[in-house]
Amino acid sequence: MHTYEVFLKKDGRDEYRHAGALDAANDDLALVLARESYLRRAEGDRLWLVRRSNLIIGDPAFVAPNANKAHRHHDGGAVAARRKSLRTQKANEQ
Amino acid sequence: MTIDVNDGTREWLLALADDKHLMGQQHAEWIGVTPFLEEDLAFCSIGQDELGHAALLYELLVGDDDAAIDSLAFDRGAGDYRSCHLVEMATDNWSTAFARHWLFDAADRCRWELVADSALVPLADLAARVEREEVFHRLHAERMLDVLMNDPDAARRLQRAVAQLAPLVHGLFEPAAGESAAIEAGAATGPFADQWSGFVAEVETRVGPVDWGDPPEQRARTQRSADWQPLMSRMREVIDLDVSATW
Repeated sequence: MHTYEVFLKKDGRDEYRHAGALDAANDDLALVLARESYLRRAEGDRLWLVRRSNLIIGDPAFVAPNANKAHRHHDGGAVAARRKSLRTQKANEQ
Repeated sequence: MTIDVNDGTREWLLALADDKHLMGQQHAEWIGVTPFLEEDLAFCSIGQDELGHAALLYELLVGDDDAAIDSLAFDRGAGDYRSCHLVEMATDNWSTAFARHWLFDAADRCRWELVADSALVPLADLAARVEREEVFHRLHAERMLDVLMNDPDAARRLQRAVAQLAPLVHGLFEPAAGESAAIEAGAATGPFADQWSGFVAEVETRVGPVDWGDPPEQRARTQRSADWQPLMSRMREVIDLDVSATW
């Protein structure tokens, strides 16, 4: 048996989304079983199956360290605060 | 939509519908107990489709009144059903259940081919709709067979199951009485038995020579097997709790 990751997409501009996983003996059977397990209610028009063994997986120690770099979060908060402060300062001067 | 048919055509369609109905029920009873989850979903989906096809066939005969469809599906006396013994047979063996699914769908394809060009337009339309779903049933069976026949132990079990089912499959090809009237009326375009040799060749290509034996005594599908009554009791279990209840 192989484990497959299942991705579905509705036709149009939606992106493929991960729907789940399944076990099957080979690729042909995986397609048949994915259809019955994940597409019974026409949840998508397109289907990708990827063998889990073919995924390239980043180690958490490699992936996680960027979590604490707040300066890379471009929410505009720092700029907005600075502009507000300048406006207040200017108003006080008048 | 109801169609106005002669008695022979009605018998012919009842045989088709009753086989679908009981096959759907048998498949559905595997929910939760097939060997793995994905197969569980697939097998029950297939069963659900079969029940849907049966309901559409009953509807052709009695119209779209739910109570009339239910009554035709569940309230007839044993002698008024036209199922074959293959679909009545109880089994708790997965290889037998799987082999029956494969053999039934392959045989049923032969039967539906006989009404694909039916003079009864609603029936021909239904045949086209059914075939759109049956394609996937057969694909499921065939792709599973590819895997199972490549494994010596699985292949042995499957061949044993086919050998056990062979006479009953032979019985599936027995039409109900009145088939010639159905053909005369243009409802069916030929006798079911003419499809037998093609079916046998298709099966034996996959599993090797099969001893098909003699079909069981079904008396033009009017005689039920021993497994029919328990099956019908399971199907009617909820109805029988209170037959006067309105659902």
